[in-house]
Amino acid sequence: MDYQQLAKRIVQRARRKGARQAEAFLEVGRQSSVRVHQGQIEDLTQSTSKGVGVRVVLKDRLGFAYTSDFEPSAVDHIVDQALKLAEFSAPSKLNGLPSGKDLGRFGDTGLLFDTKVAELPGDWKIKTALEVEKAARAEDSRIIAFNGVGAGDYVSEVYMASTEGATGAYSGTYVYLYAAPVASDGNGLQTGYWMDYRRFLDDLDGPESIGREATRRAVRMLGAKRVKTQQVPVLFDPQVAASFVSDVARAADGNVVYQKASLLAPLLGKRLAGAHVTLVDDGLMPRGLATAPFDGEGVPTRRTPIIEQGVLKSFLYDAFTARKAKARTTGNASRSYNGLPSIGTSNLYLEAGTKSPEELLREVDSGFYVTALLGHGTDPVTGELSAGANGLWIEKGELTHPVQEVTVAGNLLQMLKDLDGVGSDLQFRSGAVGAPTVRFRQLTVSGE
Amino acid sequence: MPRASAPSKRAPSLKLAPPVARRPTPVALLPQPLVERLLAVAMERGGDFAEVYVERTLTTAVQLEESRIKSAQTGLVQGVGVRVISGGKVGYAFSDDWDESALLRAASTAAMIAQGGGAERSFPVRRAAVPSHYHVSPPLMDVEVSLKTGLLMRADKAARAFDARVKQVNGGYVDQTRRIAVANTHGRYTEDTQDLCRISVLVVAQGKGGERRTGMYGGGGRVPFSHWDTFSPEDVAREAARQAVATLGAVDCVAGPQTVVLAPGWSGILLHEAVGHGLEADFIRKGTSLFAGKLGEKVASDLVTIIDDGTVSSGRGSINIDDEGNPGERKVLIENGVLKGYLYDSLNAQLMGQRSTGSGRRESFKHLPMPRMTNTFLAPGDHVPEDILKEVKRGLYCATFGGGQVDITNGNFVFEVIEAYQIEDGKLGRPVKNATLIGVGPEALKNVSRVGCDPMPDPGMGVCGKNGQSMPVGVGLPTVRIDNITVGGTKVA
Repeated sequence: MDYQQLAKRIVQRARRKGARQAEAFLEVGRQSSVRVHQGQIEDLTQSTSKGVGVRVVLKDRLGFAYTSDFEPSAVDHIVDQALKLAEFSAPSKLNGLPSGKDLGRFGDTGLLFDTKVAELPGDWKIKTALEVEKAARAEDSRIIAFNGVGAGDYVSEVYMASTEGATGAYSGTYVYLYAAPVASDGNGLQTGYWMDYRRFLDDLDGPESIGREATRRAVRMLGAKRVKTQQVPVLFDPQVAASFVSDVARAADGNVVYQKASLLAPLLGKRLAGAHVTLVDDGLMPRGLATAPFDGEGVPTRRTPIIEQGVLKSFLYDAFTARKAKARTTGNASRSYNGLPSIGTSNLYLEAGTKSPEELLREVDSGFYVTALLGHGTDPVTGELSAGANGLWIEKGELTHPVQEVTVAGNLLQMLKDLDGVGSDLQFRSGAVGAPTVRFRQLTVSGE
Repeated sequence: MPRASAPSKRAPSLKLAPPVARRPTPVALLPQPLVERLLAVAMERGGDFAEVYVERTLTTAVQLEESRIKSAQTGLVQGVGVRVISGGKVGYAFSDDWDESALLRAASTAAMIAQGGGAERSFPVRRAAVPSHYHVSPPLMDVEVSLKTGLLMRADKAARAFDARVKQVNGGYVDQTRRIAVANTHGRYTEDTQDLCRISVLVVAQGKGGERRTGMYGGGGRVPFSHWDTFSPEDVAREAARQAVATLGAVDCVAGPQTVVLAPGWSGILLHEAVGHGLEADFIRKGTSLFAGKLGEKVASDLVTIIDDGTVSSGRGSINIDDEGNPGERKVLIENGVLKGYLYDSLNAQLMGQRSTGSGRRESFKHLPMPRMTNTFLAPGDHVPEDILKEVKRGLYCATFGGGQVDITNGNFVFEVIEAYQIEDGKLGRPVKNATLIGVGPEALKNVSRVGCDPMPDPGMGVCGKNGQSMPVGVGLPTVRIDNITVGGTKVA
């Protein structure tokens, strides 16, 4: 089936039926994943999937419908459905698709597709996942079980068309490996998790390194205990720092800002952090997992500094919210076929600093190195963070004993101000959000 | 743009559903001869068991923002999954293309997990009777969209009328009519229609000096649209607005161990996180749960009896059949503090020599089933709720909660407290902000010292996440007192 043609046909039908504007967003994918358990395949899944979403504007009203059924009658039906649904939404002059001047030329994404991934032999995932498990076990005899060990790949294609001239298609590949071993010292169980997730096979960490690191992270938590309630310097490892970075970006969502439901709303142009803090969303990052020529509504993606050298520089917008806020879209419309676009990040990262993580640690007399957070993160309205934390205690610049059953609490704005160290170890470990090790001057640790 | 979706590294979690199509009458999902043909193809390489899962889900969602209906949408997602089990190995393939050749290809792909060459066999299926814990008529997909948008307009009005400090109201209504059919090589064929709807309202209130607080409330279930006559959008909106306004002027929460009293209802996420996930048979079989091997042991205070019940009438987590075609059940997990049972899907049950407890659930045909909770309750005790509060000299009263999360392996769980008050000499004092509770499952349950006589289900708004799959669930709890649990906060006493 020619999917680009199908997208165009959908748009034409909508226009014929009276839509002022119409857009079709189509996704097709195939994926395969394997999990192993004790040297054997646990399960193997293979599939293809597809779907299309149709957005229409009719008399300044918005309608949307989607389907995974590409039979001509089903596709016709959702076009009619979207038009009918438009009647139930409120008219607004601001409703509309990105216009010609928003669409423009696509930037240079570099390669998104790796034929080595697309053509991975069927048994590669099984073989490699087994190697991950073996390496994890070999690293330490205290590994007694696994919550999961696996590998997978994914090939996706996106097509879109709109009455405003949005048109385009791209395809991409993804491949991943992960392990979650469980360690026991006879008194308690601890788990570790480690993974790598890439577009290109050559970028992917080897199975031994994934397995060994997962084990190292599980074993070092054995014997974890609470610490006293206190305020101390706190380090976030790159994975935990990445979730903090996501929380900051969530508060920079142009829609919550417009609704004044973000604590960053009144702070554009203001200094939030030291000059060593730069937070960037980059839809064109070479080899990035979320790199794409256009966003969920056909607008070219770009690099947008959110915080530049400590100063809040930009919020993130899609076309609709930008129109509301009298701003320009930043190409941050995020979506899948079965939902309307909403504002999201592409490749989001905190720029690396100059100090190694060891140096950041060495400067701490007594503190907490957090390796996992439990909970749903920072509230974008109030900026409050209060979450469970696991990690390692720091004494005199060295990691000492493991810590669990404590919480860390603070406030996003204060945390940005207190962010007094950024490591040189920027990494995108498990997705499109990256961060190095970071250090906060002080957070409240709640324990005994 | 499509989000690159990594396998979830997040520990299982439960959270409030955030505020967020249809084709005419449903038809028989797949002809029986085709289903039987798919089973035969799935077994052609000598598997031990095969299953065909057919699903067709129609969703309608409406969103309100700035006192206007921002969007209305409908969608159809449908597909067929074929699972083959051979020894302990599972092969799975699915297709959203219902063309016969695509389905046969999926069955052949799933069959590849089996090594042996099987002979051509036939697997006739017979329709099995299904219990009825919900029946939604007319189906939600047949209710006019204007009635659905009307609910949100009413909610918006009520929230704004509640208090002048209410500055922003976001509302969401979503329903789905999910039709499933499951056939397997044991000859069992079952079908179910699972309607589900929910309304949710998020309110932001602004107080002195620009302080902003949020409130969120909602509910629903496998209920007909007339549910909104009694559980009105106005009530939902006023509760969300009340939370937001009540917490204005909240003081920083004192960090450290405290005595806490949990309000009844949605605080049942305590059970879900502290115990429920740790009793799911996949974690038990692999030995990765701290509850593994503890059957018959004392794991909680005598006052604690925990039940997972898929048969609650019209409950959000209720199921006539699970996603493997087994009937939903009522299971006692912990009785007077003693661990009585685990939650089994059919694969883990078979590997462990047990029987399925009707706990095999999956988000959609794109996913494999795994053991999941349905509606999880703490049985009521005999303490009078007012007395429970009166006895506490100093502590924290937790009135409403956000979400929770658990690390199964070490049992650490958290849940986020949205609305809490200091308790001083048995009375409620000032609201506190930024509180979180953290504990280790069995330890926290051993510290349960009072259980109220006021059982209460949550209003029907839970979304449970596990291994990247989201499921609707219910929880419930009477008023409960827990001694010595760590409270997270920013203030050091």
